Amino acid sequence: MKMICISCPRGCELDVSKNGDEVVVAGNACPRGKDYGESELINPTRMVTGLVRVAGMRKPLPVKTASPVPKGSIDAVLFAMHQMTVQLPVKTGDVIIESVAGTGVNVVATANM
Amino acid sequence: MKSDVLVIGTGVVGCAVARELTRFNINVVAIDAASDVAEGASKANSAIVHAGFDAKPGTNKAKFNVLGNRMFEDVCRELKVPFRRNGSLVLAFDAEDEKVLQSLKERAEENSVPVEIISQEELRRREKNVSEEAISALWAPTGGICCPYELTFRYAENAAANGAEFFFDAQVVSIEKIEGGWKVVCADSRVFTAKAVVNCAGIKSDEINNLVSNVKYSIKARRGEYLMLDRDEDGVFSATMFQCPSKMGKGILVSPTVDGTVIVGPTAEDIDDKDDKATTFGGLENVRKGAKRTYPKLPLSKVIAEFSGLRAHETTVGDFILGEAPDAEAFFNAVGVESPGLTSAPAIGVWMAAKVAAKLGASRRNPSLISKDVSWWPKTREMNPAELAELVERDPSFGRIVCRCEEVTEGEIRAAIRARVGARTLDGIKRRTRSGMGRCQGGFCTPRLIEILGSELGLPPEAFLLSRKTAPVALKKPTRGCGCAGGVCDVIVVGAGPAGLAAACAAKDAGAKDILVVERDDAPGGILQQCIHNGFGLHRFKEELTGPEYAQRFVDMAQERGISVVCGTMVLDITPEADGTSHVTVMSPRGGLKIHRTRSVVLAMGCRERPRGALMTPGTRPAGVYTAGTVQRLVNMDGIMPGKRVVILGSGDIGLIMARRLTFSGAKVLACVEIMKKSSGLMRNVVQCLNDYDIPLLLSHTVTNVEGRDHVTGVTVAEVDDKMQPIAGTEIHYDCDTLVLSCGLIPENELTKKAGVEMDEKTRGPKVDANMATSVPGIFAGGNVVKVYDLVDWVSRDSEIAGRSAAQYALNSKV
Repeated sequence: MKMICISCPRGCELDVSKNGDEVVVAGNACPRGKDYGESELINPTRMVTGLVRVAGMRKPLPVKTASPVPKGSIDAVLFAMHQMTVQLPVKTGDVIIESVAGTGVNVVATANM
Repeated sequence: MKSDVLVIGTGVVGCAVARELTRFNINVVAIDAASDVAEGASKANSAIVHAGFDAKPGTNKAKFNVLGNRMFEDVCRELKVPFRRNGSLVLAFDAEDEKVLQSLKERAEENSVPVEIISQEELRRREKNVSEEAISALWAPTGGICCPYELTFRYAENAAANGAEFFFDAQVVSIEKIEGGWKVVCADSRVFTAKAVVNCAGIKSDEINNLVSNVKYSIKARRGEYLMLDRDEDGVFSATMFQCPSKMGKGILVSPTVDGTVIVGPTAEDIDDKDDKATTFGGLENVRKGAKRTYPKLPLSKVIAEFSGLRAHETTVGDFILGEAPDAEAFFNAVGVESPGLTSAPAIGVWMAAKVAAKLGASRRNPSLISKDVSWWPKTREMNPAELAELVERDPSFGRIVCRCEEVTEGEIRAAIRARVGARTLDGIKRRTRSGMGRCQGGFCTPRLIEILGSELGLPPEAFLLSRKTAPVALKKPTRGCGCAGGVCDVIVVGAGPAGLAAACAAKDAGAKDILVVERDDAPGGILQQCIHNGFGLHRFKEELTGPEYAQRFVDMAQERGISVVCGTMVLDITPEADGTSHVTVMSPRGGLKIHRTRSVVLAMGCRERPRGALMTPGTRPAGVYTAGTVQRLVNMDGIMPGKRVVILGSGDIGLIMARRLTFSGAKVLACVEIMKKSSGLMRNVVQCLNDYDIPLLLSHTVTNVEGRDHVTGVTVAEVDDKMQPIAGTEIHYDCDTLVLSCGLIPENELTKKAGVEMDEKTRGPKVDANMATSVPGIFAGGNVVKVYDLVDWVSRDSEIAGRSAAQYALNSKV
């Protein structure tokens, strides 16, 4: 399977295949590419960045998942962010949603407000 | 609504008539179908005050052109409108043209317009950029240039100061003769009655006349397309450069404008639809080709906008039709006022007002009771420092620059909304203040304008009285210094984005003591504040951060080092001094105008997006076309969704990122269209922003037409060939309400140029050496102001070099 690694701006073209239980990654320039190729074949994941409402303000708070979540749960993660309203003040890194959409991954603030 | 006179149409002619009528004991009401004055031909024409050599002797066009031209100095002085008698030249390219010059000369003499024919040598001595193919020219010294909508606004404002009332969105559907006058009914059932009506409805003036009179007229819309060039081109021509009228048409003119831009156009095309102000591929191409005959070096990279206007060409008489209709008493016409309509407007105004007053038997008002007030806001960019300092102290909002390209302050914008005939729309603000009219075409200021407009229009109408002039007070000089040791800073950094903060930290670490970072936004961090996606800092911090997180790291680093960052402050000027220091002029709402002295400067202003104008996309100019960065700001910072169905033109990284963000926020992104054979953004962004969400990327395609009059209703996309020309038959139509542009970034170097720094034509940033030193001693530059970077990590790295070099320079300084 051909794919483009999204780990860094270099964008290596990977060739990922299965040899029995082992995943073979070719074309990567660094170990992150190997990790990406493996995960993309077995369980693709993405970082999700988004916005949540702030009580009493039009300006939203930027947030992110603390680590990548399964691609299939992106919609559920976005929905949970959309449902959320936070009270200020908030600092960068504060947990805004615990284990978002049952992924075990927290949503954290990415700005001080 | 009852009045003595009802003026229908508030273009330059209608407003001139209304204003001149207020000199009589007459009460005046003026109405327009649009939401503002100057919404028709008055906002989109060549902005030329014609000398009058062109009009056929004996016609109304000739008479009012010559009369109007002579009035311009006085009218513009009274109304405080910029006007320049720069003279006009008509170029001859061959013997045939020279015959035309002769006949124009004869016409000019009949019209009593001074002209002379000048030789090629004389022409080239006066205009060094004119084509070598031009062999002689007709010189008309009385030709001039003026801002047509500004003249209209000021006419309206002065008319209102003298009691005229204005009503908008008033589309006339019927006019009925009643006892002692006329009854005019509008589409929304508003009724206006008046003893006399003056029809100044421009392109629709035939329709208004035909509602009343049996002498029918027919106006054809004659569309003219134009290109506008950046202020960088100021001074390429001193006179207005015409070409000879020929079988091929009137020819394309190239002219300076009073605003310092250069206008190029128009085409002349008769069309059926009187509302169709779209530009076209063919039309813009003709403008370009025609202009190149006069100006062979015409730089397309300097195009900032394209637009079209409709001239009201009357087909039965072919002249201005002025005066009372023969079969309708007290119904006056100004029908078919096309070019030279702007030039003629002051004369038509005076003449028409006298006719109407005579009809009504109205006497002249005592001149001392007539208000001269037209100056409803000061233009801060034209003020001297002392005046400006005093104004900012009185009203701090005049210290906050909203439109950075044209240096328009919040105070001016609020005043334009609060004026008697005030702005009600973004366009209204734009034309009154020039905010959004510069090279970024509103990319940065649109969100702020929306905010100001909202807050202002929430006010009760009483607030409109606030625009009266306040009593003059003693002028104050700008204050000097920032409290640094000996009144001199070591390093002033312009911009507190990732580049500026990195430079400031590096300068501190290299031993500089007094460092000042000046930021125009209300918070440090620069554009990264709105880049809420991840992918920053992989090289610099070995981890993947979002934009605000990356910015915060540098904000914290600056804070730890005790570096002072002043926000909400705009640097207006940098002047290098003979002793190697620089004077830096800054302005802010709280601090007013200040001049700092510094041993060295680091420029870190970043970059801006290419606006629609620079892309020459044909079609209408509706709301709903934004650059990707503007959409990013609206969605991520202001919590505003611009639309639901989106097409993206260009595949720059911000466009790709916004495709995903808009999808996340509930919009449907229909396609991303790229004219090149490959994406201009990073492949990782194509994968994770488009492919992940099944958004098609159409390579070798472009938008060939933008549709929608008020708001975008759709776009047409077509494939392009190797020469990037659209291929017929490949068109795809999308119904959409938003077009997002992501077509590249340009370093932002107004200040750099003001400081006299040598520029690099290729990067469009300053030329720098390995130490990031510019051509001016003591001025360094870092980040996107130098060249557009792919990665913020490298912005920080190179800016640190600039910061260290600046510190070195300061420490070696003898001052």
